[in-house]
Amino acid sequence: MSFLAGALPRLFQGMSITLQLIVCSVPIGLAIGITVALGRSYGGLLLSSLAWVYQALFRGTPLLVQLFIIYYGLPRFGLVLSPFVSAIVAFSLCSGAYHSEYFRGAILSIKSGQLEAARALGMGRLQAVLSIILPQMLRKALPACSNEIVYLIKYSSLAYLVTLVDLTGQGRLIAYETFRFFEVFLVVGLLYLGLVTIANRLLRSLENRAHVPGL
Amino acid sequence: MSFTDSLNLIVRSLPTLLQGAYITMALIATCLGVGFLLGVPLALVHVYGTRWCKWVAAIYDRIFRGFPALVLLFLFYFGLGSIEGVSLSPFLAVVLALGLRSAAYQSQIYRGSLLAVGEGQMAAARSLGMSKPQAIWLVLLPQALHFSLPGLANEYSIVLKDTALAFAVGVVELLSRGKFIVARTYATMTIYLTVAAIYLVLTYLGVLVFWVMERRTRIPGLGDRAKESSR
Repeated sequence: MSFLAGALPRLFQGMSITLQLIVCSVPIGLAIGITVALGRSYGGLLLSSLAWVYQALFRGTPLLVQLFIIYYGLPRFGLVLSPFVSAIVAFSLCSGAYHSEYFRGAILSIKSGQLEAARALGMGRLQAVLSIILPQMLRKALPACSNEIVYLIKYSSLAYLVTLVDLTGQGRLIAYETFRFFEVFLVVGLLYLGLVTIANRLLRSLENRAHVPGL
Repeated sequence: MSFTDSLNLIVRSLPTLLQGAYITMALIATCLGVGFLLGVPLALVHVYGTRWCKWVAAIYDRIFRGFPALVLLFLFYFGLGSIEGVSLSPFLAVVLALGLRSAAYQSQIYRGSLLAVGEGQMAAARSLGMSKPQAIWLVLLPQALHFSLPGLANEYSIVLKDTALAFAVGVVELLSRGKFIVARTYATMTIYLTVAAIYLVLTYLGVLVFWVMERRTRIPGLGDRAKESSR
């Protein structure tokens, strides 16, 4: 138990890095997702095919490979990113691709009559999309996006593989110093489980708040 | 490095990378297999189990879906490996960690499709004189497995991408072969993009296979009703 008392402060230190990663990449990922979904649904042929290619590439390859390309590959072109920034870029781009697919599904489930009705009321196309489609899309996609956010919390552990000392990284260091691999990784896993549970609770209450009866 | 140099390097490293892709496919097949063999019973427990069984299944679910894949991998490889008398090969550790994890996710897929088959079928089978296990085995499960194919295609692409983590414990699969070549040639971008392209092909080929399987096992008129009742 005394070993745990020594390890916990360091694990919490790592956890703060993990939290920073999540807090930075979730909003960026959501913003990318919304933009790409709107581009794919309402953009012209060029925009929508670009969005399609982006989705196919980032959903078809492992996040770890994307992370390696950004961290080890980009310096070839003179773009040297710190491990922290590389992780955020990779996480945002990858989760943005998944978010965009959920948002697109939500857009497809909104009847086209709504857009026509908004246009008939004299709204411009952009205005109709932003004030009629967007709010409904966000509501409908929320459960799927919550899932994706929870996934991202778990996959943030990959940041350790580009040398960032996050929760997993601290766990690995402590495990090597103390040789108590099983206990340390069990505690690390439980801490992630705690993060995931809290995130789930928060997102559920957000879903309940955003719920419109009958919609 | 010029374009032709890159192209040369890709052609020369392709055999090595494809050998790695073969290991990756072996990993996926065994992980999905373990997930299937354990996921189906777990789903049956989720749906038909007694209270205690359900409780145990729920804890299993929580742990294997709540821990990051990388932490599970470390837990199995370094954690179990550090216990005296237990020695796991890297391959076996990956199969256990990702396979047991996939079982938790797959059990949710099968649970959903078992529920989608509908209560009426169970009642009909029972009224024909079948026992409950018989009804599950002969009537519900075959239909549920068909409905779960789209979910399984998704699970395939998730497991495929997770097998890239295997390099962290030293399995020489696609990504780690790429890393070896990068260590020798320093051609980071060329090699990692090639690796990404191979993963992309594997993902969409696999999804295509599941789609064909779904089409092949489709029974006209069957899916529509299950979809209605699951809404």
